[in-house]
Amino acid sequence: MIELLTETAIQEPQRIRGLEMPWNRVMGSPETPARAARALGPWHPQEFMAECVETVPEAGAMMTFVFRRCDGAPLAFRAGQYVNVAFPVNGEDQEPVDRSYSLSSSPTQPWTFSITVKCDPTGLVSPWVHENVRPGTILEMLGPVGAFHLPDADRRARYLLLAAGAGITPVMSMVRTIHSLPGHADVVVLYHGSDAGGFAFHRELAYIASVDSRFKVHYSLGDRSVPERWEGLRGRLTAAMLEEVAPDANGRQVYACGPEGYLNTATELLQKVGVDDTSIYMEFFSGDRQTLLEYQAEVALATDIAEEIAEEIADSAEDYFEGQPAAFGLYEPGYDADGTLEASGLPLEISDPEAPGSDPAVDSPGMEPEAGSPDASSFDTVGTGSLTMSFMRTGINVRIDPTEHILEVAQRAGVRIGANCKEGMCGSCKVVKLSGEVEMNHQGGIRAREISAGKFLPCCSTAQTDLVIDA
Amino acid sequence: MTASVNVPLNSRGKLAASLPAEQLAEITALFEFRRTGYSLDAPFYTDRSIFNIDMEAIFGQHWIFAASTAELPEPGDYVTVDYGPYSLIVLRNDDGGVNVLHNVCRHRGARVLTEAAGSTGNLVCGYHSWTYSPEGNLIHASAPGETKFDKSCFGLKRAHGREVAGLIFVCLADEPPADFDETAKIFEPYLAPHDLSKTKVAYQQNIIEEGNWKLVMENNRECYHCDGHPELACSLFPTWGLTEGLIPAHLEEVWDRNKQAEASLEERCRRYGLPYEVVEQLDTRIAGIRISREPLDGEGESFSADGRRLSKKLLGDLPDFRLGRCSMHLQPNSWFHFLGDHVITFGVFPINEHQSLVRTTWLVADDAVEGVDYDLEKLTYTWKQTNLQDKAFVELCQQGAGSPAYEPGPYMKSEYQVEAFINWYVQRVQEHLA
Repeated sequence: MIELLTETAIQEPQRIRGLEMPWNRVMGSPETPARAARALGPWHPQEFMAECVETVPEAGAMMTFVFRRCDGAPLAFRAGQYVNVAFPVNGEDQEPVDRSYSLSSSPTQPWTFSITVKCDPTGLVSPWVHENVRPGTILEMLGPVGAFHLPDADRRARYLLLAAGAGITPVMSMVRTIHSLPGHADVVVLYHGSDAGGFAFHRELAYIASVDSRFKVHYSLGDRSVPERWEGLRGRLTAAMLEEVAPDANGRQVYACGPEGYLNTATELLQKVGVDDTSIYMEFFSGDRQTLLEYQAEVALATDIAEEIAEEIADSAEDYFEGQPAAFGLYEPGYDADGTLEASGLPLEISDPEAPGSDPAVDSPGMEPEAGSPDASSFDTVGTGSLTMSFMRTGINVRIDPTEHILEVAQRAGVRIGANCKEGMCGSCKVVKLSGEVEMNHQGGIRAREISAGKFLPCCSTAQTDLVIDA
Repeated sequence: MTASVNVPLNSRGKLAASLPAEQLAEITALFEFRRTGYSLDAPFYTDRSIFNIDMEAIFGQHWIFAASTAELPEPGDYVTVDYGPYSLIVLRNDDGGVNVLHNVCRHRGARVLTEAAGSTGNLVCGYHSWTYSPEGNLIHASAPGETKFDKSCFGLKRAHGREVAGLIFVCLADEPPADFDETAKIFEPYLAPHDLSKTKVAYQQNIIEEGNWKLVMENNRECYHCDGHPELACSLFPTWGLTEGLIPAHLEEVWDRNKQAEASLEERCRRYGLPYEVVEQLDTRIAGIRISREPLDGEGESFSADGRRLSKKLLGDLPDFRLGRCSMHLQPNSWFHFLGDHVITFGVFPINEHQSLVRTTWLVADDAVEGVDYDLEKLTYTWKQTNLQDKAFVELCQQGAGSPAYEPGPYMKSEYQVEAFINWYVQRVQEHLA
């Protein structure tokens, strides 16, 4: 590598505020072209076949297996989630053995995806995977699964990512994802390993930390052999080490992944340095019976959901994809209190404090006439004109021509609507439109928010269609 | 943003403006012979004429805290602010600025907006539907048969309004005190990191205290009485206002803990570039101020029993919940606490010589969800209790001021900020009467 010496200081990039996953806007958008990209949004686990296209040996007896789906679809998931893979360990004609592996790639590159498997020589599956899965191997998978993942939108993306050993896998997916997205973020990675040569992805982590100022990466060797030239941290996780790498841990969201003992220690220490329980997210790579049962239940639920969805798609694919699926509790982004998967996007804003904020207006949908309300077809109809206005409270239908002002015609027919200026200024005639379109030519008597809530000023409006009016 | 006064205040027809010479001399003497370091003579708290002078000399001349931007985030949002004889409309206009209008219809004087807060397009008087634009211009008044009616002569009267770091101030003076700019420069850097423009109102409490507005302010400027605030004492060090050498034995341990918390907070502030030094110019400038960032007891995060956060969403781009409280006092009518997780604003609006409205507003990050990120009861508990206790203290004093046996008592050393408030008040009124 050539070292280029430079005297010129380079300014920091300018970024939008906060972090937002690219599928966010797709999921919420009513626009057809955007909706077409919905397959990129992570909204349910599916069963699918995937073909291995690349194997990459990693440090620490790990191997990354890159896959693409046989059906050509992208794999939609959230950074931190895992897939459950059926491995034909005992031959193609025998019952395959299922194992869950965290995805190590970024969902922002969804056309291929990867898992990274650490070889445990005493294990049944991982040595088989290392030896047998090669480019061309086709495996059956279920995914994505798991509630351990980055949020879909985060105005204050300040993270502390803790990883021990193979626990780096989902953390790597998070790092790659954040690195691939614009937006303000502040990420501290603390990666524990047992020997100096065993840190998977350390070259990529070093590269990301060197080009992306949002990242700080720290390594620590456990309490075993520390070579002389080691420049990283030493020893197991301690409160002092947390304070050293992230003195502001208190204000961060913490994602931690590794073996059970490590995570239990981490929980205790994080509480000690003041991190709120609700800001700690964990993924266990080993655990007691209880933990294992929980993961089994998670996979079982994902299987049920995947089967249910497959059936529905088989019944009527078109109908199915038209409607968004009901919320699957397990896969909800944690911050989304409504239980919907259509997370609303962050308002787009430049992180310049001088720039004016531009919160998108929250439109309340126009009201529909409620079931059980009086039926306008039984009302008397008066007047002449090509369109009909139904006044639900007065109980009358009034005919009107598209050139006439609604207020005048309504008042003539005996509908009580108070009014003063009759020029769209004072707002005193404001009423709610339950359906239909009007053309309004007001002069400040009504606000955009009121209009989007279905209100209008009949004094300065003409009817464009038949109308149903709450008056 | 500064609004211009488009209609000069007209002194014609005002009776209260000039007191009989004899009474004025009497009142002037009361100010002149005020005993420094002692509470005020009873008439300052009980006399209607002095209250009228307060309205004219203090509330009619100075920048008054009215609301925070979270109370009127969108165009058309308004709050009405009443004090003494005044009622003002503070309205967010379409340009993002603030219009301050006298809430007095130019037809027959009716209140134009009757709600404490809301959202409106044009402003319509409920009496005869005179309609004003958000700028206060009369744009509609039905005038059948009138030939000489010139609408342009009857706009709503305007007052000055300005917004600094998410706080909105109003001033009724023709020419507002100019040194507010300097005061704003002092507090702006303390407040900016909390980004009030990205907060929302979680709760607002209006209480009417049966006490003169000065007693409300005096009570707030000292913690000598803080034994009476058991909930607040969990997180606020009860040594507040004390200095080395003034620490009573039973508070020595607390003092040490306070010192440690202070050192650790200072270190955090330096790390994040947050200002924390005490700036105290309560009576040495016209727009008097005290501001500082001080530690909280326990976890040091918020006003909770254990000092932990009450809302899980950090304000603005703050990096850390353990930022204690940035507290600000502004003369004449407000104080504030800016924490990592929420902000509390306090405004005092005098009603008459023996009643004051105290408005407390809790702000949280605008994306914090009630019931998920914060529990409203827990968020508001400490200061709701404290306000009720303070109300009782103020009312005890008001009762005392009404007794023939009352005579001014000495402010203790720890009450030096009360003295500063009174000194500020006396100076300002004297300048006005001179």
